[in-house]
Amino acid sequence: MNVTHDTNNRTTTIHAAGRLDFEAAGAFQKDLEQAVADAAAGGHALVLDCAALEYVSSAGLRVFLVGARAAKASSVPFAVYSLTAAVKEVFDVSGFGRIIDVLADRAGALEKVGRSA
Amino acid sequence: MSVAQTTVDADATALPPLQSFLTDFWAAEHLPDSARFPFELALEEIFINVVMHGSHGRDDVWTEVTLRHEGHDAIMVLRDNGNPFDPLAAPPPDLHAAMEDRTIGGLGIHLIRTLMDEVIYQAIDGCNVLTLRKHLEESPAH
Repeated sequence: MNVTHDTNNRTTTIHAAGRLDFEAAGAFQKDLEQAVADAAAGGHALVLDCAALEYVSSAGLRVFLVGARAAKASSVPFAVYSLTAAVKEVFDVSGFGRIIDVLADRAGALEKVGRSA
Repeated sequence: MSVAQTTVDADATALPPLQSFLTDFWAAEHLPDSARFPFELALEEIFINVVMHGSHGRDDVWTEVTLRHEGHDAIMVLRDNGNPFDPLAAPPPDLHAAMEDRTIGGLGIHLIRTLMDEVIYQAIDGCNVLTLRKHLEESPAH
């Protein structure tokens, strides 16, 4: 799994690429928790770009849940977007779309977190 | 009909080689990439469950993975000598709980049951045997 961050217009974007499996989950959780803490400190919103995320298992779903809870607890606006077919299927079957804001594209995600141009 | 089989120790470091074993079989059989995901997911969910729970307090636990391509079906059989556990007997997860109350427990097997056409658990000679079958929509290339 490969993870990069960028920040502009008071929005931090995490680009998650590759496989979010049992092996990758621990490091990605640390990454996401740190990003939530940084966003809270800076008054930023946080969006997660999943366009290159090919795979997620229940171990990976747990990280999404931990991240969404941390964001909510810190009042950081949080949304995920551009899910691949496999990841979207996992979100749908798990009912995660009811507890995490999932948007079709970046524009939708930015609007959801209140950062639309 | 084609068959491939491998056996690994119940240790999380064996997950990447197991996934490669699946990917190699898929490529050799010219199976559609779009149908591979449920098998990758089931392989991780069940194997990691054996690693985390099935081998509790033991260091002699293994998992055997058998892949079969029969007509338009792909079949994966996971057999382990870990502690007896029927994942299909576990209570279903509450998919409507609020974010604060959601847990991951049970989600893996729920995903597998939803994405596979058939999931059967058997206890045979002291081993857990889980058989997963899925019909492949697209015809193989050969």
